[in-house]
Amino acid sequence: MILTAPFRDNNPRLHVVGALVGAGLLILLLALFRVQVLHAEMYGSREQSQSLRRIRIPSARGDIVDRHGVVLAENRPRYDAVIYLDQLRGSKRQDIYRVIHSHLALLAQTMNLPVTLTEQEIRAHYLKRRPLPLVVWRDLSPSLAAQFAERAGHLPAVDLVATPVRHYPHGSLAAHVLGFSGQAEQPDDEEADEFYYYQADTAGKQGVEKVCDEYLRGAPGGRTIRVNPSGQTVAETGYKPAERGDRVVLTLDARIQRIVEQALDRAPLPAGAELRAAAVVLDPRTGEVLAMASRPTFDPNLFTPGAPAEQLSWVLRNPASPLLNRAIGARYAPGSIFKPVTLLAGLQHGAVTSADSVLCEGSLHIGNRSFGCWNRRGHGRVDAATALRLSCDVWFYQKGLAIKAETIAKEAGEFGLGQLCGLDLDGEKPGLVPTPAWKRLTLGERWWDGDTAQLSIGQSFLLVTPLQMACLTAALANGGTVWRPFVVQRVVTAENLIVSETKPEARRRISASPSDIEFVRQAMLSVVQATDGTGRAAAVRGIRVAGKTGTAEADLRVHGATQRVKRTWFIAFAPYESPEVALTVLFEEGASGGHTAAPVAGQILAGIFGRTVERVGQEGLHAD
Amino acid sequence: MPTNAPITVFKRMDWLLFAVMIALVVVGVCFIYSASYRGPGQPMPAFWRMQLVWFGVGLGLYLVVMAVDYRLICQWATLWYALAILLLLLVLVVGVKVYGARRWLGVGRLGIQPAELAKLALIIGLAYYLFHRTPEQRRRASTVWSGLLLMAMPFVLILVEPDLGSAMTLIPITFGMLFVAGARGKHLVLAALLGLCLTPVAWWHMKKYQRQRLTVFLNPDRDPLGAGWNLNQSLIAVGSGGVTGKGFLQGTQNSLGYLPRTVAPNDFLFSVIAEEKGFVGSAGVVGLYALLLWRGLWIAAHARDRLGMLLATGIVAMLFFHVFVNIGMTIGLMPVTGVPLPLLSYGGSFVLVTMTALGLLQNIWIHRRNY
Repeated sequence: MILTAPFRDNNPRLHVVGALVGAGLLILLLALFRVQVLHAEMYGSREQSQSLRRIRIPSARGDIVDRHGVVLAENRPRYDAVIYLDQLRGSKRQDIYRVIHSHLALLAQTMNLPVTLTEQEIRAHYLKRRPLPLVVWRDLSPSLAAQFAERAGHLPAVDLVATPVRHYPHGSLAAHVLGFSGQAEQPDDEEADEFYYYQADTAGKQGVEKVCDEYLRGAPGGRTIRVNPSGQTVAETGYKPAERGDRVVLTLDARIQRIVEQALDRAPLPAGAELRAAAVVLDPRTGEVLAMASRPTFDPNLFTPGAPAEQLSWVLRNPASPLLNRAIGARYAPGSIFKPVTLLAGLQHGAVTSADSVLCEGSLHIGNRSFGCWNRRGHGRVDAATALRLSCDVWFYQKGLAIKAETIAKEAGEFGLGQLCGLDLDGEKPGLVPTPAWKRLTLGERWWDGDTAQLSIGQSFLLVTPLQMACLTAALANGGTVWRPFVVQRVVTAENLIVSETKPEARRRISASPSDIEFVRQAMLSVVQATDGTGRAAAVRGIRVAGKTGTAEADLRVHGATQRVKRTWFIAFAPYESPEVALTVLFEEGASGGHTAAPVAGQILAGIFGRTVERVGQEGLHAD
Repeated sequence: MPTNAPITVFKRMDWLLFAVMIALVVVGVCFIYSASYRGPGQPMPAFWRMQLVWFGVGLGLYLVVMAVDYRLICQWATLWYALAILLLLLVLVVGVKVYGARRWLGVGRLGIQPAELAKLALIIGLAYYLFHRTPEQRRRASTVWSGLLLMAMPFVLILVEPDLGSAMTLIPITFGMLFVAGARGKHLVLAALLGLCLTPVAWWHMKKYQRQRLTVFLNPDRDPLGAGWNLNQSLIAVGSGGVTGKGFLQGTQNSLGYLPRTVAPNDFLFSVIAEEKGFVGSAGVVGLYALLLWRGLWIAAHARDRLGMLLATGIVAMLFFHVFVNIGMTIGLMPVTGVPLPLLSYGGSFVLVTMTALGLLQNIWIHRRNY
């Protein structure tokens, strides 16, 4: 039995215990404060990053259409047979691959199609991209897709997914303007961390697809999902649908484009010559590009994932570089199509009058060298208009020396030669307009009179692109306005609201007087219309076509050996009275401008205006 | 004297202590519910209802213990102590093996953990022993050694189960009671140093998982997907709760299973509260415990005799250790051990032990001085 002892011991040690307990609780409070208040953000983001996954939904690219709404690039649905790995369960963790394999085997048996997925692909997908569908068969044909829906649709975790893929319904038509698209690079920022399921957009890689990529691409959507520690989806916490890209309306006219491409493909090339060519058709009233073609060409559909790889590699490895847009990205000596510039320079600066005549005897001695006319027999006595009509080299040699190289170069500069035209596509080359100062600086040589003579007929070091010549032709056609050429007319949203619109932009007016310009225009008219003109083959029934032929010699080095080829050109505008089109046709290798390029230009103009070409016998063709 | 009329008991009991206890019980049941919640339409595990049953039983014990004079209960101290040792021996022989440790004695479908009962038995035994020593005797080293010996028997038996956390609980109980009983500081320090010297031996005998837990405590990022998982996920849960929390049933760490479902309702219940109620909630819980422990010490200071004072001190030491180690564990302040949070964590044995201990506190208060 315990006796109750009197107890008046107000034990001070209890205070010590109390203090210790209090201190302990205070420590807990402070530590909790540190974790929950001071470091809350850090732990909050750790919580999100381990349980939240974002899935990016790529957007469908906008269409590209011609000026009349003809669709040049669109999307088609691609049907992929997929399997959702996160809907499969293994009894144990290691078991899951066995389950996946038996599932795939069942699928292969049902569809009677082999599964080509590798073990590594399956494992990588399971570990890194589990909530995304794993593609078993890509791009099923419509009949296979129907078969799949019928036979395999009921299998668990299996689905048929339609993905928009880029499609160019007209194949290679306007391929160099449209360009092509491929899978976008994964953005290299913090977005692309390991918790981010990236599904690539289609990105434009060349041409309008590249330049207007920002508009065409649209805005990707996304899903935010919560996953548990085994990576299985628990809930969807957010969804934003992808926005379709804007529609790009081009200045191109698909009809004219087709006419141009067909005309190039049917060009009367000399035997053994390869088809390497370019053509540009501009509206001389605005600078709109109505057609632009380059040969050889390619089918942009080859760049969509899943296209036959061997054809694509042929395109990529072809020594003729089919991807090169020769209309803007290659430089050539212009030859006689430059003569209108020389003539105009002479008229403007008083070195030449319309009545000035020169006796052409087939060649001219300058210094100690003889410079030949293309017509070795000589043109006899020729005045300015005749010189252009017959493309008499001797007249231009002599007058060129009088006009002087600098003046000619200045005139060429006014037309935009030696500079970028400012086309709204990538890959333009500026070309080259040589001057005595340029030659001294870059080659360290003096400028000879022979150089001036060569320059006056569009040779020497002069290099131009077909687009530059088309702009020049357009300026002659419209009486002196050099337009900035453009292919993108406007960008509109899916609701047809205008996002951006290109206004025609005059780069400059050439300083030559209207009467001088008219003189050159008339001379160009006679090139085609006169029976002895060098551009007879470009004549079209019912409309008056003005033009100029050109044949420039260029030395190519092929396998170590020098090979001389003839760049053959034709520039033209029509109708003469109020020009609606200005065009340039170039063949890297042809017989002559009059024989090779002029008939092609004639075909194009006849097609554009719905006319037929004038029949001209071979004997009626005067070459240059 | 042994028993009191119910009316007097209710008139004299500490209603604040009772209210704090009920508050903690309610919070506990609510968050055990939340901790086992897995989303709408998912089957609801019955943990929270089981816990209510345990509290029902515990409340019965509470009333009984409250009503019978603590001096009478302590007269049987030797019996309680012997019984506890017997059960500890029994569990080593016929205990149910869970996760490689024999801690459970199966009684039908229910299981009890003798280690939890041993804590209470030690408190009563020590109080009874120290109460019967004269003040001079209590200042002798021999009293300290005897006290430590009383502790050592259950300590070793619990350690070999193994249950490191429960064994460690006996240390603050013993030292706290010896200290309050008047043992000399130098003797206590000497005893503590001796204990430290024995630590390497303990380390040597530890299981691999125990060592891992301790090393992980020192460096939680060493193995975040393995041994450090619980600690890391608990830290993320507590930290991401922020100031005000994500809301009841909104804790993703717990419902998605990042905080493992096997530990969320018991050892890591505090993490669930902290995630869903934020710093406000966790400070509230700490505040409730502060109130409880302060009442305990108040009762110790106002006990009728040294026996009551020692009993109350032992109970406060036990509860404090549990609170500190458990909450400290959820935020990486303490190593991960299975020390439950009094009145909150899911688990029958410790609920019963805590309720009995609180009943004893009430008992001491009812029979306080000036009576």
